[in-house]
Amino acid sequence: MKSVRARVFLVLVTAVVAFGIAMSLRVPPSGATTRGARSALRGTIRVSGAWALYPMMVVWAEEFRKANPGVQVDVSAGGAGKGATDALGGMVEIGMVSRDIHPEEAKKGGFWIPVVKDAVLPAASAANPVAKELATRGVARKTFSALWVEGKPLTWGDVVGKPKVKEAVRVYTRSDACGAADTWAKYLGKRQEDLKGVAVYGDPGLAQAVQRDKFGIGYNNLNYAYDARTGKPVAGLVMIPIDINGDGKISKSESFYRTRAEMKKAIASGAYPSPPARDLNLLTKGKPTGLTREFLLWILRDGQRYVDRAGYIELPKPKLDAAKKKLG
Amino acid sequence: MTRQLRDRLSAVGMGSAALFCVALAASIAVALVLRSRPMLAESSVTRLLTSSSWRPLAGEFGFFPFIVGTLCVSGLAMALGIPVCLLSSLYLTEYAHSHLRSVARPVLDLLAAIPPVVFGLWGVLALVPLVQKLGARFGSATTGYSVLAGGIVLAIMVFPIIIAVMQEVLLKVPLEAREASLALGATRWQTTKHVVVRAAYPGIIAAIVLGFSRALGETMAVLMVVGNVPTVPRSVFDPAYPLPALIANNYGEMMSIPRYDSALMFAALILMALVLIFNIGAIVALRGIERKLA
Repeated sequence: MKSVRARVFLVLVTAVVAFGIAMSLRVPPSGATTRGARSALRGTIRVSGAWALYPMMVVWAEEFRKANPGVQVDVSAGGAGKGATDALGGMVEIGMVSRDIHPEEAKKGGFWIPVVKDAVLPAASAANPVAKELATRGVARKTFSALWVEGKPLTWGDVVGKPKVKEAVRVYTRSDACGAADTWAKYLGKRQEDLKGVAVYGDPGLAQAVQRDKFGIGYNNLNYAYDARTGKPVAGLVMIPIDINGDGKISKSESFYRTRAEMKKAIASGAYPSPPARDLNLLTKGKPTGLTREFLLWILRDGQRYVDRAGYIELPKPKLDAAKKKLG
Repeated sequence: MTRQLRDRLSAVGMGSAALFCVALAASIAVALVLRSRPMLAESSVTRLLTSSSWRPLAGEFGFFPFIVGTLCVSGLAMALGIPVCLLSSLYLTEYAHSHLRSVARPVLDLLAAIPPVVFGLWGVLALVPLVQKLGARFGSATTGYSVLAGGIVLAIMVFPIIIAVMQEVLLKVPLEAREASLALGATRWQTTKHVVVRAAYPGIIAAIVLGFSRALGETMAVLMVVGNVPTVPRSVFDPAYPLPALIANNYGEMMSIPRYDSALMFAALILMALVLIFNIGAIVALRGIERKLA
């Protein structure tokens, strides 16, 4: 009797352990959940990833659904890294990746197309004691590098050349694996993990932390830096102009931070350097087919109509054409 | 169906349900070990646990700051939480009118039902600025995102669990014991201290263990206020980086950096081991106390 029970016990334990191992080693199924023919599009497209692309994707999802009532698009935000991991792991059809695709991701079968442009902007609190000097003098790349990469303990006086100001700069960065941080790091010649500073979760979180801390410095995506309604910087934030030529002042050609429209023009023309300006990508596992492909093609054609209104910058035409060609 | 057969079947049913739960824990552990093997094959466990250098792209995975961060934040939460929990549950069971008790209970249950993100948000909005000001008073240029902020948020999150369990335990102490003590002329406080707490001691420890295990694993709320900097904190105003936050934040880079998934699985394994060690330690301590009291 006892041995029977022991055997049952053993079988059960083995079964559960085997099940657990199988579940954790299982390769998730890839590909889209396309059900139905191409003409009458039906099915669900799942999208996740970059905060930078989230507001844009919500608009696209809505408009695409209007045009194709049989299609549902589920969008969630969680950082570029999550988008890439989810797409390559088969959890979603499309990952939003607001940075360059890493070679490791390409090697795992990642297929991507750029869809729009935006930029990462350095920001400080509006209550910053040297806010005025920041606007007229700007900050050069090597100072950003000293703060974020070398982690030098600078004061705000050091930053704007006003030795009387003794308050230390408090550097903020992002905690979640994200495109904004990676793009900002790329501008400084590094990757996200090399950025020093207190790390805060999410784009809104970082904006909020810098807003609140008058000695803080951070960076934000274009659409979290400027208010969509007023076109001015978000209340409580000031953008820090980048002193591109390093001459210690912001000349006319470097001054385009007052409104979102001005900033967008500077990004489109290349007056604002790239990086921190960047292409935003959509990533799929392998070359997309069916519904996913239709959606991506729609984004490159009709979807571009909504780009400007949503606060992003359209890609130049050759780039869009190349993306269409890549999709096939 | 005979009665005996039904009896046998129900025993088998319950047994397999219980087994399933136990085996699940075992299978998670096994899976974590398997998945972190690539990491372990390249560097020794001691190096991984004691190194402070965290640079995944360069292939350097030092978990020491994360382990210290986890213990600091959880330890601080318990240091802040235990006195409050013990005193309030003593008040509610020994001193308070039953009306108050019947009001306090649902409020505490409500506190337990609030999602962690809400606590995190509250921490960011209210607690972080407060800690920043407090730090300035102590001469620290803290941002407010710190061990202290994490500890306070965590303490508040474990309150309801610990208080609920402690209350149950204190109510189990027989009324006769209290009456005997009071009849001998002891004051209410003397009775509470020498009779009730003494009798409920093992249960109180169990409540604390439960709270600490919960604190070790809490992720979202802590992640939002703790600063997430992979260095060993030197004061409560410094930022820290607990293990659960590491896993949640970097889950996204798993695909793009070699061996990162293995490193994160190892982080999960460390966390599981910490909880296990703590629980075993508590069981051993509890046995000792029970023997002493018996």
